[in-house]
Amino acid sequence: MIQTAKDMKTYRKKIKAALKNKFLRKALDNFASAYKVSRAKAFEGIDLDALKDEIAQGKDEALTQIESLFLRFKAGAEAAGAIVHLAKTAEEANEIIAKIGKDNGVKTMVKSKSMTAEETHLNDLLEARGFTVTETDLGEWIIQLRHEGPSHMVMPAIHLSRWQVGTLFSDVTKKPVDLEDIDRMVKVARKELRLAFLTADMGISGANLAIAETGTLGIISNEGNARLTTTLPRVHVALVGLEKLVPDLAAALRIIKILPKNATGQALTSYVTWITGAVECGASATGKKILRIVFLDNGRLELARDPVFSEAIRCIRCGACSNVCPVYGKVGGHTLGHVYIGAIGLILTYFYHGKDNARAIVKNCLNCQACKSVCPVNIDLPFLIKKVYANILKDEGKKPAKNTVLSAVMKNRRLFHTLLRMASALQKPLVQKDTGVLRHLPFIFGKSHDFRTLPALAKTPFRDQWPALRPRIQNPRFRVALFGGCVVDFVSPEQAIALVRLLSAHKVQMEYPLGQSCCGLPAMMMAEEETAAEVAVQNLEALEPWRYDYILVLCASCGSHMKEGYSRLLAGKPKQAGKLHQLQDKLMDFSSFMVNVLKVKPEDFIQNQRRTAYHSPCHLCRGLGVTQEPRELLRTVGLDYAPCKDEDVCCGFGGSYSLEFPEISAEILGQKLDHVEAAGAEVLVTDCPGCVLQLRGGMNKRNSRIQVRHIAEIVADNLKTP
Amino acid sequence: MEELMDQMKEKAGLVQAVVSIVSSMEEVLHRAVDITLGQGGKTIAAPGLAPESLKRLEDLCKAARLTVLSPPFRSHLSGIHTALTHADWAIAETGTLVLDSNSEDLRIATMLSETHMAFLPVSRIVPDAPALSAWLVEKMKSGAGYLSFITGASRTADIELVLATGVHGPQELHILMMEET
Repeated sequence: MIQTAKDMKTYRKKIKAALKNKFLRKALDNFASAYKVSRAKAFEGIDLDALKDEIAQGKDEALTQIESLFLRFKAGAEAAGAIVHLAKTAEEANEIIAKIGKDNGVKTMVKSKSMTAEETHLNDLLEARGFTVTETDLGEWIIQLRHEGPSHMVMPAIHLSRWQVGTLFSDVTKKPVDLEDIDRMVKVARKELRLAFLTADMGISGANLAIAETGTLGIISNEGNARLTTTLPRVHVALVGLEKLVPDLAAALRIIKILPKNATGQALTSYVTWITGAVECGASATGKKILRIVFLDNGRLELARDPVFSEAIRCIRCGACSNVCPVYGKVGGHTLGHVYIGAIGLILTYFYHGKDNARAIVKNCLNCQACKSVCPVNIDLPFLIKKVYANILKDEGKKPAKNTVLSAVMKNRRLFHTLLRMASALQKPLVQKDTGVLRHLPFIFGKSHDFRTLPALAKTPFRDQWPALRPRIQNPRFRVALFGGCVVDFVSPEQAIALVRLLSAHKVQMEYPLGQSCCGLPAMMMAEEETAAEVAVQNLEALEPWRYDYILVLCASCGSHMKEGYSRLLAGKPKQAGKLHQLQDKLMDFSSFMVNVLKVKPEDFIQNQRRTAYHSPCHLCRGLGVTQEPRELLRTVGLDYAPCKDEDVCCGFGGSYSLEFPEISAEILGQKLDHVEAAGAEVLVTDCPGCVLQLRGGMNKRNSRIQVRHIAEIVADNLKTP
Repeated sequence: MEELMDQMKEKAGLVQAVVSIVSSMEEVLHRAVDITLGQGGKTIAAPGLAPESLKRLEDLCKAARLTVLSPPFRSHLSGIHTALTHADWAIAETGTLVLDSNSEDLRIATMLSETHMAFLPVSRIVPDAPALSAWLVEKMKSGAGYLSFITGASRTADIELVLATGVHGPQELHILMMEET
């Protein structure tokens, strides 16, 4: 049965075990690659953003009237001969279904795939009551035989190899099975399960949609098992989450249009079945199907009213947030979820299966935003994951010491910066003179952190160099301020120095407002929202955005947090609204400024055509939506841009994530570096100092000759000196 | 019309449906017999066929030593080779057939057969699902009912993401588009 780690120690063990499973990684990797291509193809010619907005808006409207939709559905379905129940809890739903079985003299049941039934652990109760239950979706049948939960919401047995399935089938049928021949295995299932269908007294299904207007259930399936489940047995019970209610057919068709495409890149599933009421059924004494529809609340109504979390129940269970999650791709669904899996699973587990099951898994998010970018109903998954983490910290009433320390330090910029300066002095004996990296990691890090070198803190932070560096430009074209961020300021000031050079050469007056502090994202990542909000205000005060034409960032993470995160953090502080808008209007990443504002020209750069790979930082390509400018800039400044696979997949850094889950971070990084090496690049460029830190540390550890540079550095390298 | 037919053919082909154009009911019946024979099948279930077509099918089958099953098909759950049915509509955008499946015999035939052959006049091809909204809603509002969208044969990719057809439903889907004469 499903065993989800309830503390970090157990969870780390589970992660280590999952990472040893090479088959799993390969299967998930193959799927992730194929999915991207087929999804893009499936949505060709469709205005996806408009469709997503429309569905999300429709869902939100439906959620506000969920109770009245239920009543309408009930009236329609019951007029057509069904009986409709509403279960408050999972236990209540299971009891209702067991009673329907008992009242109708049922002994055997067939089931088509239902995540809602997984949620309520329906099979466990039915089996305990003496019913024989057979799952009929191939993947669900396989995991039922193995007594485990699904590892993906759409492809429940994606973690298993053909050999594992073949061996299992051979054990079950007591006949030899060719362990290579998947087609034959499918036929074994067809034969075995056909028997179950023909003899079952009751069929249990879920539903993807419940149309209130007509009392109709909509069920999608590829195998056809849902059709058999709802046709052959004399009793049909559908277990349906309340959030599946939609007002009318038009809303249902919109969801059908997006769901299979987003789930697996299929234009449409083989079957879409619409059932209204009790249809003709020769197996029933009355000649009519006994149809019972059990709606499940289990916290949904409360969730629908929650000002922050309500968007989570827009979810239509497509599973795409797993498909694109770099963490899922490394450890699989049994390690990244409880019953519900992937990003949405980290959220729903807390509400449907309690904080004990959510406590450890909820931390396993890189905040890379990949899930958010593919979510068909615009759920801000990474944000809600952090919110769940914050709720758990609040529920448990005791914060980890690191949270308390971080908050205290970060709220006080002077203290924070003094501590960084002290650390820089103290680390001296640890620093390798020639490379500037730490000779060995401080003792608090274990061996698992040894997958990358870590840079030393800079001898002199950028802010202390600034007074001497500050150029004075006569008649500047623009006045800009740099928001440096902690890494640029205290670890990699050379990136800011490169910017100073470039801007001076293009007659731009740069300023570095010294009151600026950390952007606050690390506090958000640790669910310290109040600290993050306080720091945001400090930065707004310090930056004085009205003084400048642009506010530049060299760190995509700071930039996207200020652009998006600040709006949310400061929503309750109307006094900051004016400054915030100015900041957000003027905020720009380095590449966009060079390409779109300065319009830099090839003749100003040495065209040395170095073969250059590019890593697209999560918070640049998804956070700020900047994808073309960096690539164009590389070409303009005379580099030979060599595209490589998965440029927009996270490097595995994720700030404190890589300290919390070093093994996963190392795996994700390793794959990224493999792709870069395969592209035959001499240099790897990216536009986020955090990514530079991770990628450079990894390349160092490999003793690779490939250099890792911030894009500002390499552009400055190629600048012709007058 | 040409365009919709081409699109229907293309999209249904992408999901392994076999699409052909026929000119008469006579041709449909011949195809059903030929395909059943070709696959070594012995039986045909033809729910909802017009009486004169059914009679003609029985004659053809008799000559070919095939059996046309008589309803209710619940008594033939394990013995249906070919299901021959009409389709109410086709949706070109996704290569989908739409069948009012209220009749249990129609459901059993289309779900438990090895091969499903569905015919429809080309005038019943619509561009997309919303084009059928009014028809669908009317059906849904008129008491108990079971409507099916069918797109290609039954399929799965549950083992190692390898596509395999015919896991529970028909292993093959044939679509016969009838051009009006």
